[in-house]
Amino acid sequence: MTTEMEFGARSDRGCVRENNEDSYRVAPEMNLFVLSDGMGGLDAGEVASRLAVETISTHCRDAEMNASLPLTGEPIKGASAVSNRLASAIRLANEVVYRAAQESADQRGMGATIVAVRFADERMSVAHVGDSRVYRLREGELEQLTQDHSFVAEQVRRGKMTEEEASGSTMQNVLVRALGIDPSVEVDVSEELFVEGDTALLCSDGLTRELSDSQIAAVLGECEDAQEAAARLVDLAKQAGGGDNVTVIVLRHASKPVGAFARIGKWLKDSA
Amino acid sequence: MPKLVLKFENSVLKELPVGSKEVSIGRSPENGLVIDNPAVSHYHARVFNEEGRLMLEDFGSMNGTFVNGQRVKMVTLKPGDSVGIGKHTIVISESRELDGFATGSTGVRPAAPKINETVMLDTKERREFLQKVAAVGESSQVAPSRLKVPTLVVRKGRTNQHEYALNDKLTVVGKSGMATVKLKGWFAPKAAAQITRREDNSYYIGAADKVPAVNGQPVFHPTKLESGDVISVAGIELEFIYRD
Repeated sequence: MTTEMEFGARSDRGCVRENNEDSYRVAPEMNLFVLSDGMGGLDAGEVASRLAVETISTHCRDAEMNASLPLTGEPIKGASAVSNRLASAIRLANEVVYRAAQESADQRGMGATIVAVRFADERMSVAHVGDSRVYRLREGELEQLTQDHSFVAEQVRRGKMTEEEASGSTMQNVLVRALGIDPSVEVDVSEELFVEGDTALLCSDGLTRELSDSQIAAVLGECEDAQEAAARLVDLAKQAGGGDNVTVIVLRHASKPVGAFARIGKWLKDSA
Repeated sequence: MPKLVLKFENSVLKELPVGSKEVSIGRSPENGLVIDNPAVSHYHARVFNEEGRLMLEDFGSMNGTFVNGQRVKMVTLKPGDSVGIGKHTIVISESRELDGFATGSTGVRPAAPKINETVMLDTKERREFLQKVAAVGESSQVAPSRLKVPTLVVRKGRTNQHEYALNDKLTVVGKSGMATVKLKGWFAPKAAAQITRREDNSYYIGAADKVPAVNGQPVFHPTKLESGDVISVAGIELEFIYRD
């Protein structure tokens, strides 16, 4: 059940920060791509984001070996097994980061955002907590697939703030949800079509603070391959200021199916 | 216009613009900026505009008012200054003038104010947010018979069923194996359109191989579906309704 995916990734400290607290993992053999932006004093942010991405990859890998591995948390109705496993992995990552934050005075209060996508045939499972984002480019249109768990985004969603006010607010960096802050966390999960010609982008806010959606769409549209697109996005973000760590993963649906029977996918789905 | 950003340790509690009226700061609820902490005097200090400059005056408070670590009585403030009152900090911030999204000659968006490190919302407010989110999540676990079932009813065109109850996070209209609403016909697209269920249990229709129309209007961006909306795509018409 492999989807042919072309991917590219890059992470950079940026021009202002002293260290890089973003982490990411690409696990193409599992069609899994994960990105995390850590926060906390000293190096705690780095610890948090690294723990997050590692826990998620490990849990998904363990589940590949053992399909009856219990899920962390309640399964989501109407979501595929792949989506539920991804949500489970993120809830587990939350527990791991939370425990680590309690154990050391240096790490108290540390946290991380998370975005994770996993592909099964033409279905993309998207799970996230925080304000790192997943976008999809289709026919030149860039669509943000995740809703930020930030204070200003919540205010806009409730009609208490306009989008313009939000982008001018000094509270854009305030999150309402992140990994490691509370013993349990609500993970947002969605499923999207991902078809030939589509491009997906995972990114930390270091990218979207510096570049506009139309600039991002232009780069994704112009670059020949995913790695080139990833490198170019990071370079442009740095040129525009590079005020934060910036990490991107670019995914392209490959144009040809793999093998004659590629379309006949065995679909794992909870019938409950 | 300058803004006062009230912080406690790593959390931002509040932000308040300073206009032509002064902002008084202290523990008493009558103040413009209330800091409820024993280390803060009832009427501790004030921030006001004088001839275009932002001024801070301490009211002879018990524990004093500090700017960038120095205890002060009356001083001019500038953006970036950090005012210490008790255990709280007030950061002076410049509010960006918004005149549309003007881009500079390079086409890059205008420089945003230096964004601070990412922080979490103060605990009490965050717990309220989380409760609201949990409430929405719980409502999706309620026994189905109590809820209205979102349904697509085929009004026109050839499909495999007359009605479809939307149970899944992702519903595809098309000819492919993963389509729920299966289109018939040689030239039917693999995936004409997609309907996704969001976290708040609302349903959004989006384009895939085709651009669907909702009530006659083409939807180029995922659009929320309301009961009674009629979707037309790839030669079929579907009505989105909530059934009891």
